[in-house]
Amino acid sequence: MKRSIALFVALVLVLLATFALAEQYTVGIGQFAEHGSLDNCRTGFIDGLAQEGIVEGQNLTVIYENAQADMGITQQIASQFAAKNVDLMVGIATPMAQACYNAADGKIPVIFNAVSDPVASGFVNADGINAGMITGVSDALPVAAQLATIRVMLPDAKRIGILYTTSETNSVSTIATYKSLCGEYGFEIEEMGISTSADIPLALDALLPKVDCLSNLTDNTVVQALALVLDKANTAKKPVFGSEIEQVKNGCIAAEGLDYVQLGKQCGIMAALVLKGEASAADIPYQIITEPSLYVNEAVLASFGITLNEELAVRAHAIQ
Amino acid sequence: MAQVIGVLEQGFIYAILALGVYITFRILDFPDMSVDATFPLGAAVTAIMISNGFHPWLTLPVSMICGAAAGAITGLIHVKLHVRDLLSGIIVMTGLYSINLHIAGRANVPLFNFDTMFKNTFVSGLPSGTQAYFPVILLFLLALLCKILMDLYLSTRSGFLLKATGDNPTLVASLAEDSGKVKILGLSIANALVALSGSVMCQYQRYFDISMGTGTLVLAVASVILGMQLLRGLRRLKATSAVIIGSVLYKGCVALALSMGLSPFDLKLITAALLLIIIVIGGKNRKVKYHA
Repeated sequence: MKRSIALFVALVLVLLATFALAEQYTVGIGQFAEHGSLDNCRTGFIDGLAQEGIVEGQNLTVIYENAQADMGITQQIASQFAAKNVDLMVGIATPMAQACYNAADGKIPVIFNAVSDPVASGFVNADGINAGMITGVSDALPVAAQLATIRVMLPDAKRIGILYTTSETNSVSTIATYKSLCGEYGFEIEEMGISTSADIPLALDALLPKVDCLSNLTDNTVVQALALVLDKANTAKKPVFGSEIEQVKNGCIAAEGLDYVQLGKQCGIMAALVLKGEASAADIPYQIITEPSLYVNEAVLASFGITLNEELAVRAHAIQ
Repeated sequence: MAQVIGVLEQGFIYAILALGVYITFRILDFPDMSVDATFPLGAAVTAIMISNGFHPWLTLPVSMICGAAAGAITGLIHVKLHVRDLLSGIIVMTGLYSINLHIAGRANVPLFNFDTMFKNTFVSGLPSGTQAYFPVILLFLLALLCKILMDLYLSTRSGFLLKATGDNPTLVASLAEDSGKVKILGLSIANALVALSGSVMCQYQRYFDISMGTGTLVLAVASVILGMQLLRGLRRLKATSAVIIGSVLYKGCVALALSMGLSPFDLKLITAALLLIIIVIGGKNRKVKYHA
């Protein structure tokens, strides 16, 4: 009996000791702007870490800063992370990830989130090998799937209009993909570049009469003005296709989109490997989220009088 | 300590910008909006030169020349075409956005794999303990050099005319000088400094982004006013020094707001509150001195 009590006490002590001695991690999360998809990346990331046993409040301290889309502040946030000597930096969206990678200076590992073109952003060399102590998950949009779905839903459509901000590299590279693929699905792409959200109303007035529908990218400026885009397009009776779930929730008709919570989660799992010292950020190959899901907004679908065919209906996630 | 160095580094970079804006905003009394585009202009020129193998130091004079040319265009539109000051700056700012995109080739150019003035074989050859301090020392010297050259210039005949044009254009006319020419010159010098600051910032952060100019003028004006209001009591201190200190203080306020650990929503509000507190406290000290 005595022996078993002693054993039990010893066991408890060992458990307590491992708990107390368990490595404490500090992670700096920098987010470029405030909007649904990027917020999803962040929550997904923290979930991903938790799944690997690194839990906020227990053995993880998260320093979260948001640059509110101010370029002057991105660099300052990143240098503060470096000054606080965090164990790992996370940059959500391209400019923030670049600022982190610069401030980390090869001394602190960096995970990028929601970067559509990691090669053009300088994180990955042209041969697909990480440029330094940086890795992450890219959010290249499933353009082919989107075009196929639009073809099925709008059999007579010829021209797709895309509104994008000329300052966003993500949008520029996605439009290139759209243009190279649109022929296969019998579409033409009519693009319209803007430089600030103030240009959106005029740009839409010029664009809408020329197209049969709009397709949104993950362009930050356009997404932030989505209500206006939808308002103008609905008045013109042109459906707007989105690029992820949040946009469909807000009134886009449908989207072959990415799940940003899942993207964040994958990043969190990568980060856990790096924090535990199981792999270096320089060696973990970056990933691309490829598996699209179809989201449809039933109310909008009904208002345009469109019904999904069987193939789409089976895999569609309906959003009220 | 590392945080203080970060604030100083970025403060000195923006100090060069603030020195330029000091010329237009305080000396010429000209609200020069073109700054929001000449800052990224310097950065775009730098990014494209460095990624094509030019020496990092060479980008500085080239950026300055481009900035000076842009400033001269603002001046020419204002003086020769009689467009209002604010509008001529806006016209140049709007047009330069496209030109900047053309120069850089795309909206975002990373420079992680290239040598810059802060990262090169010379710096990596320094003893490891001193490497961390290299950027801050270099930036301090650069800001100081700009300040000294500006002080020297302002004490020349041309510099005197520049000051007179803002304060008292009639005096300039009575000296048989063309105040329009002086304005164009002032705008060129100012935007040369702004583009220089953009070039240095681009090398410091190691990427160019087309949107890095947004809000530049506001930031610079805030630094100028902060420095000058706060240090007005110190008669011996030159305005140019006050501007540099103002820029560092401004960055310090942002850093403090960031490290307070409050909700990211409140970042700008806290920054604004800190700026207000500094200005008010600075104003109080001055009053005491006046009565004494």
